[in-house]
Amino acid sequence: MSFFSGTSSTTVAGTANTSSAAEKDVEVVEPPSDSISSLSFSGQADYLAVGSWDNSVRIYEVNPNGQTQGKAMYQHQGPVLDVCWNKEGTKIFSGGADNAGRMFDVTTGQAAQVAQHDAPVKVAAWVDVPGAGILATGSWDKTIKQYWDLRTPNPVATVQLPERCYTFDIQYPLMVVGTAERHIQIFNLSNPNTAYKTMTSPLKWQTRVISCFTGSPANSGFAVGSVEGRVAIQYVEDKDSQNNFSFKCHRRDSTPNSKDQALVYSVNDISFHPVHGTFSTCGSDGTIHFWDKDARTRLKSFDPAPGPIATTAFNRTGNIFAYAVSYDWSKGHSGMTPGAPNKIMLHSCKDDEVRKRQRK
Amino acid sequence: MAKKKNKQLIRPWCWYCEREFEDEKVLMQHQKAKHFKCGMCPRRLNTAGGLAVHIQQVHKLEPDNLPRIENALPGRDGYEVEIFGMQGIPAPDVADYKRRKEIELGLAAGTISQPQPKRAKIENRPISEDDLRRQLEEHKALMGLNQPENSAAPESSSGAVYGAPQTYAAPPAPAAPPVMPPPVMLPPGVPPPGAFPGGPPPFPPFMPGFPPGGPPPPGFPLPPGAVPPFPPVGMPPFPPGPPGAPGRPPFPPPSGFVPGGLPPPGFGLPPGVPGASPPRPGAPHFVPAQMPQNQASPPPSSTPGTSHPPTPAPPSQQPAKPEPARPQVPVRQPKLILPNPSLAQTNPEFKKPTALKVKDANFSPEERRAIHPKYFYSGVDTSQPSSNHAEEPRGKKRARAEDFL
Repeated sequence: MSFFSGTSSTTVAGTANTSSAAEKDVEVVEPPSDSISSLSFSGQADYLAVGSWDNSVRIYEVNPNGQTQGKAMYQHQGPVLDVCWNKEGTKIFSGGADNAGRMFDVTTGQAAQVAQHDAPVKVAAWVDVPGAGILATGSWDKTIKQYWDLRTPNPVATVQLPERCYTFDIQYPLMVVGTAERHIQIFNLSNPNTAYKTMTSPLKWQTRVISCFTGSPANSGFAVGSVEGRVAIQYVEDKDSQNNFSFKCHRRDSTPNSKDQALVYSVNDISFHPVHGTFSTCGSDGTIHFWDKDARTRLKSFDPAPGPIATTAFNRTGNIFAYAVSYDWSKGHSGMTPGAPNKIMLHSCKDDEVRKRQRK
Repeated sequence: MAKKKNKQLIRPWCWYCEREFEDEKVLMQHQKAKHFKCGMCPRRLNTAGGLAVHIQQVHKLEPDNLPRIENALPGRDGYEVEIFGMQGIPAPDVADYKRRKEIELGLAAGTISQPQPKRAKIENRPISEDDLRRQLEEHKALMGLNQPENSAAPESSSGAVYGAPQTYAAPPAPAAPPVMPPPVMLPPGVPPPGAFPGGPPPFPPFMPGFPPGGPPPPGFPLPPGAVPPFPPVGMPPFPPGPPGAPGRPPFPPPSGFVPGGLPPPGFGLPPGVPGASPPRPGAPHFVPAQMPQNQASPPPSSTPGTSHPPTPAPPSQQPAKPEPARPQVPVRQPKLILPNPSLAQTNPEFKKPTALKVKDANFSPEERRAIHPKYFYSGVDTSQPSSNHAEEPRGKKRARAEDFL
């Protein structure tokens, strides 16, 4: 219960409860039985889809007071690595280590395979093309496949990547892909077959996650997180390159009194706030921070969780922030202890935690 | 007495220039003016670290060529030591200063540096039972301040009846779930307006016109004429009936995903669902219920007989190495192979001693994890023997096979 004794302030104090109790984040009931790989909120309602290493995708309903209910669940044949919703909130897509992309239709409760790769599917994302929608899946087989007609198994486009796809993010029409060997490819999805720009990651260590900016100016850039506790803010166009910068985060001192920040943890996920354009980073050190890239300030730090934060997500309005306290394999198999925490927490975002600050 | 004397002897002194001051306030003023003053602008900082950050950020100087701290004794002009008044002075320097002070004042060695040990005020007598009981009561009162609210919360939460209040009642720590109890006497679906004064409600109304208990309104995005995306609350979302039967309802209950904890009315399991155990009161998390599921559906890579040995692999075992005793899995060896070894990445050197937690430059933690015997998926073929092995996944897999067709 050490986590609950921390004060990760969430709601405004002064509710009927004591303030300390009101400031707790809410734990999602019935969490997956193995580590959580991905979280995704529906774009229409407060439904949360959760992918897990126990081969399953679970769907929870989040009530206005933060309580959750398990709603549905379906299986992959291997661990689930990513999960996403379509824009209408009627279908859930997931990619798994069984090399398959699957679609779950929430109206019928049917799951079906819609994508096939030659290696585990690491990323699944919905491309919100005006007038239509495309499922894009990125895999360690060095391709991103884009499926327009989900009834046929043949992709409408297959993009060859220089290396294994580790992460990509889409803010239509911008898609930014991060692969092994630190390649980054930027696509304009109105011409999805060729990369608009190919570059090497501004960070010197393995790329962990890429997230595109939300808010205005739209599609201007993205954030890259690496295993070496560092995040780079990168703009697409060269004219904005003077705004590029990187910063260190998710580090700890090796001994309590030293200020060496010598323990360097991986940045596991970056989530942009859908309204304000601020973003969160989470790491293997168990901490989460909210940042404002324009004011270049940290908006909020969470109290360290008892385990790594594997993944995070904002809901559609950005007032619920979900994060998974779950083992991320950062210490290999030996770090997989039986009693390790494995839970999804819901944090209610206060406005001043996520709103941009005045630029100094 | 000794304390007072000590204070007279050792006045606040500045670590940087070893000057003495009347009190700490003056000392801090001195430090701000003499040592923590920025050479490039009139700004005065409170600490060396603050000065360093200021110079780096405002004057854009590299950390390597910061100017040394002004007016400091040799060897004490660095930024490594964070001094704030008398705080932060390295212990050896304090001892050294005291020793020199003793010599200067002609005192015997140790008069200042070793003040008389004070007797610690610790009561060694055993705590009587009455005291224990009283302390426990106090502690309970302290920890259970919101117990009445907690117990009231389930009743007032209109949408769902909390069938298992035991979850909350577990003392002494207030349980986590009733964090935001909805106020009493509000219709379902209405956000508690007064519950969060001074700020927006942390969670919005779920959907305008989407009260729990009724079917979703047309506002919920749906293809016209389609079934509601989720069964309305109040109807069992997991209705009875064998999974896989024609007209299978949405969200068939996979065993193990039983709504435990706090089943609202209608959300409970209908009787007679095969493979599902009734929610057990007091066991909000169905970890036990999950165990059989875990074992019943071994990773498809594992064949009968080998499904269990790889899982409890000793930590020392290389996860990257395939299990030697797995002759049945000839298809793909779980081994990470660089597609192009000539392009193998190496991590650059660190400028200072650093413990990088993820050292692998070539493979992500997920790739390492996915080849671990517990998670490795070798191909579709091996799912057959595994389904022979276990009863439960067979039914599930068959159902899924139908889905594909």
